Amino acid sequence: MQAEQGYTLFELMAVAGARELKDGEVVGVGIGLPVVASFLAKRTHAPKLTILFELGVVDPEPIHTGVGLADPRVWYRAKIMSSFVDILGTVLHRGVVDVGFLGGLEVDMYGNLNTTLLGDPNGAFRHFVGSGGANDIASSAKRTIIIIRHEARKLKQAVSFITSPGYIQGAGSREAAGLAGGPSRVITDKAIFDFEPESKRMRLLSIHLGTTLEEVLAEMSFEPIVPDRVPFTEPPTPEQVRLIREEIDPEGIYSGR
Amino acid sequence: MSSKLATLAEAVASIPDGAHVALSGFAITRCNMAFARELIRQGKRDLTVSQCVGAMDADLLAGAGVISRIIYGGGSLDRFGRLNCVNRGIEEGTLVAEEYSSLSVAFRYLAGALGIPFIPIRSLRGSDILERLRKTAPGDIAFVDDPFSGEKWLVLKPLHPDVAVVQVQVADEEGNAWIFGPRWDNEEQVRASTRTIVITERLVSTEMIRRNPEWTRIPGFRVFHVVHLPFSAHPTSVYQAYDYDADCIKEYAQMTQTREGVQAYLDKYVYGVKDHWEYLERVGGLERLSKLTADPVLGY
Repeated sequence: MQAEQGYTLFELMAVAGARELKDGEVVGVGIGLPVVASFLAKRTHAPKLTILFELGVVDPEPIHTGVGLADPRVWYRAKIMSSFVDILGTVLHRGVVDVGFLGGLEVDMYGNLNTTLLGDPNGAFRHFVGSGGANDIASSAKRTIIIIRHEARKLKQAVSFITSPGYIQGAGSREAAGLAGGPSRVITDKAIFDFEPESKRMRLLSIHLGTTLEEVLAEMSFEPIVPDRVPFTEPPTPEQVRLIREEIDPEGIYSGR
Repeated sequence: MSSKLATLAEAVASIPDGAHVALSGFAITRCNMAFARELIRQGKRDLTVSQCVGAMDADLLAGAGVISRIIYGGGSLDRFGRLNCVNRGIEEGTLVAEEYSSLSVAFRYLAGALGIPFIPIRSLRGSDILERLRKTAPGDIAFVDDPFSGEKWLVLKPLHPDVAVVQVQVADEEGNAWIFGPRWDNEEQVRASTRTIVITERLVSTEMIRRNPEWTRIPGFRVFHVVHLPFSAHPTSVYQAYDYDADCIKEYAQMTQTREGVQAYLDKYVYGVKDHWEYLERVGGLERLSKLTADPVLGY
């Protein structure tokens, strides 16, 4: 896909994720695209980034790609190996995590994420992975970045189950639940969104080169706020693409090359 | 009791039906697999298991009908797939799931370990996890006012498992154990539990433990049984000891997609072998296991 542009949509999304991370920040990541985004940021503009895995791993430098957080390949050369209470407790719950990456089965217009089940929670449903540390990150990180495929069945008017709260019912409801922070970006394979500060509704921020506004909206089950002028997402540089392909994900496991 | 050293069969036999067992696995690493297989062979019933992240040990026990309740924070087999047996049990209503987040379960163990009556947490607010817990575990969650600030806080009840079972790399016969790599919830599990069973890859002298006491993560004086059993986490990994067995986990993920497949898996790898040693032969013996042995620099 997009071979003529010299990068894949996965690489574009990873670069967009990396761009959200500032030098010196503390970031909680899961496996997959967030790992690529974080390692890319750390090798480029954010060398002082601190990368956390919930089970107790800090700043690893893997040389092989892993199948998940439980794979010792992604713990390689870590500076610290500790525990949930250390990472999710004394770092995240204490309020020290700047950014958390989250993914999911479904997200709604307020950034509420579902990773638990599809169907009717009180009737027939199919159960999936659940929270892991996702709810903890959604509750205690200063901001979160949501990565999700751009499909109408994933960008929903209402999710089947709120595993990780975003802005819940919109304006004021996150605060009412006793939560600060909240999602700052939604990165899909067609576009990037933020949240309108008053209503907390998802708002289109940029569209990826090669797609159109009509395509973006056609594959959503709700209407985001669409400003008069929507720019194209800044594409990856050749150097960013090279780093991903040759150093960060040489086996193409995360990107599925 | 002169020695805590026990066979796997003896350690498993000490667990009564209906007990709450905290398991040390995380997805596909340091799972209590040999222990789970022996629980199944001994026909244990109605166990509750808990762990911060649901893992292959709990899933196998769910598939075999050994557990009736799981207290966990969600889980998977990483890229190998879902926890098919746990998920099917939840979907069909045969397994009671008290589903939290990772930190919620870790805090419940921590409160149990500290002997405090409850623990406040910021997680779960505004989520359907909390709404569901109001039905599945109404006695384990509450709201209190912070006596200092007046702020309203969700509080969780401590967990006090009857037994913690922990898969470790190195232990002595008192149960002083070194865990290498990240330890997720294991240290709090042990300290929250009434008693602990340590299952170790290597058994060393207490003199060896005394040379690096700062590595001791599990205090021997809290341990009841020590089981020395190499490759007892297979097919999951043990950091610095051996890698996960990808082919075996793929086979498990494939076979557990149906109830019939689960039965075939159990017949082949649990009921079809008399003990752990025969299991290791069934999966390929020393030739196979040598290939999984960890590189000391990489740890996998």
